Amino acid sequence: MSTEAVPQQLPEHKDLVIEQLVIWYFLAALAYLIISMLGGFLMALQLVDHNPLRGIEVLSPGRWRMIHTNAIAYGFLANAFLGALHWVVPRLTLRQVASRALSYFTFAAWQVVVLSTAVGIMLGEAQGLEWGETPTWIDPLAQLGLLLVAINFLTPIVQTRGPMYVTLWYFTAAFIWTFLTYAMGNFVPEYFVSGTSAGAVGGLFIHDLVGLFVTPLGWGLMYFFVPILLQKPIWSHGLSLVGFWGLAFFYPLTGIHHFLYTPIPMFLQHGAVISTIAVEMVVLTVIINFFGTLVGTGQAFMKNLPIRWFYTGMVYYFLTCLQCAMQTTMTFQALIHFSDWVVGHAHLVMFGVFSMWLQGIMTYLFPRLFKHEWYSKTLCEWHYWLSAIGLLVMATDLTLAGVFQGYWWASLQPWEVSTEGSFPFWMVRIYAGLAMFIGQIIFVYNICMTWQLSRRAAVPATIAA
Amino acid sequence: MPDPIKPVDIEATPRSQNRRSLWATSGFALVILIPSLYGFGGKFIEFVQLYRGDVDGVFAISPILNYLLASMGFFCLFCWAVTQGMFQDIERPKRAMLDLQNQLDYNASSQSGVAK
Repeated sequence: MSTEAVPQQLPEHKDLVIEQLVIWYFLAALAYLIISMLGGFLMALQLVDHNPLRGIEVLSPGRWRMIHTNAIAYGFLANAFLGALHWVVPRLTLRQVASRALSYFTFAAWQVVVLSTAVGIMLGEAQGLEWGETPTWIDPLAQLGLLLVAINFLTPIVQTRGPMYVTLWYFTAAFIWTFLTYAMGNFVPEYFVSGTSAGAVGGLFIHDLVGLFVTPLGWGLMYFFVPILLQKPIWSHGLSLVGFWGLAFFYPLTGIHHFLYTPIPMFLQHGAVISTIAVEMVVLTVIINFFGTLVGTGQAFMKNLPIRWFYTGMVYYFLTCLQCAMQTTMTFQALIHFSDWVVGHAHLVMFGVFSMWLQGIMTYLFPRLFKHEWYSKTLCEWHYWLSAIGLLVMATDLTLAGVFQGYWWASLQPWEVSTEGSFPFWMVRIYAGLAMFIGQIIFVYNICMTWQLSRRAAVPATIAA
Repeated sequence: MPDPIKPVDIEATPRSQNRRSLWATSGFALVILIPSLYGFGGKFIEFVQLYRGDVDGVFAISPILNYLLASMGFFCLFCWAVTQGMFQDIERPKRAMLDLQNQLDYNASSQSGVAK
C-alpha cells in the first residue's frame, strides 16, 4: 500500500474487488481440502491394514498419498490464497487487478491444472519428486499460470508509489519466488541434473515451496487482516520489515536441512543448519510483533473467532519452528530421520499454520461476501475446536511416534518391532484426522446454509465478525 | 463500524538526527560486513581452488553461486528500496493502511446499508 499515491476520491470496494471470484476460489479450495483429507484418511487406514480400496490400482495408497499432498498444496492452499489475494491486493493498492478477464481465465485454468494433476497421478504418470508429482506435460501449463497470476497482481502493486506496507513486500516476493521455485523443482531435476544433485534440488524445492510460496503469502495476509480485526496497527512496521528481509536473505539455503547425513557435501548441510538458525531469529521477530500487537486486546482471542484462528496458527507456527530448530541439528536428525516425526511436522505447518489462517480468513470473509451473518456461530465454534484439537492430537501423536521409531531403528531391532509399536499411534492419528475432517464438513455445511439464508434474505442484516 | 482512525501527523525527524543515525548505521554495517566478507571470501576462494579440475566441483560450488546470485538480487532490491525512501518514516504505512481499510469499509457500508 502506498502512503503517497492515494487518490483524492477513494475508489469503492465493489469496483475494486471481484467478490464472485473470491467466493469461487474459496469454494474450490474447500472442495480440494475435503478430497485431500479423504486421501489422507484412506492412507491412514492403509497403515492400520484396513484399506477399503484394496486391489484397485488407480486408487492404490501410494497414489492417494500423492493426491493428499498435491490437493493440499495446489488445490486448497493455492486456491484459497488466490481468493484472499483478490480481496486484499486491490484494497491495499486501491487499484483493480491488471485484468478481470485474466482473473477469470486464471481461475478456470488453475482448476484444469489441479484436476489434470489428480488424473495424471491416478493414472500413474507422477513425476518422481515429492510435491512436484505433477505429470511433466502439466508443468509448462502450471508455470504459465503462475506467470499470469504474477502479472495480474504485480501490475497494481508496482503502480503504487511511496513506502509499501509490509504485506505488499511479502506478496511481491511470493509471486517471484513461487514462479522460480516451481521452475527449479519441476524442470531442473527432470531435464538437467540427476542423482545426488537432483536430490539437493528436490530438497530445496520442497522447503522453498513452504518458505517462499506459502510463508510469504500467509504472513502477508496476517499483516493485513490482524490489524483490521483488532482495529489497531501492527506493533512495529520496522520489525515486520526485518522479518521480510531476513526471510529473503536467509531462507533460500535452509532446504538442504532435510538432507542431513545424505551424500550431499557436508559444507552444504552445515550451511543449511546455520541458515536455519538464522531463520529462527527472523521467526522470533515476527512472533514478537504479532503478540506485541495483541497486548491490550487479549480478550479478542476469546471473542473474535477469526482472530482465534489466526493466533492459534501463530502458536502452531512457533511450535513448528521450534521443531525445525531441533530437527536441523545433526544429533537430533540422526534420531528422527525418515520417521513419523517428519509427517507430524508437515501436518503441523500445513494444517496447523496455513490452513488455520486461511480458514480464519474464510470465517471472516464469507459473511461479507454473502452479505449475511453466519447461519450458525455454534457450528463455527465446532469447526474451530475440532480442527485445533484434532491437529494438536495428531501432531503430538506423530511426533512421539517418530521419537519411538527412531530409537527402535537405532537399537537395530527387527523392523516388525517398529511397525507393531507404531500401530497405537497410527490408530490415534485416524481419530484425530476424523475430528479434523468432520470439522471441515461442518464448515462446508455452515457455508451452504449461510448462502441459502443470504439468498432468502430480503433485507441486509448486520454482519458481526 | 468504529470511526475511521485519524491519521497521525508525524513530524519529520530533525536533519541532524537523521545524519547521526545514517553514520551510526553505516558504521555498524561496516564493522559487521568487512570481517564477514573477508572471512567468507577467503574460504570461498580456498574452496574453489580445492575443487578446481574435479568433476564434482561444479555441483559443489553451484548451490553457493545460486545463493549468492539470489542474494545479490535481493540486495539490489534492498538498495533500490532505500533510494526510493521506503524505509523513511518507517511506521507510517501501518497507520495509513488501517485508515484506508476503515474508510473503504465505511464507504461500502454507508452505500449498502450494511454495517461492516
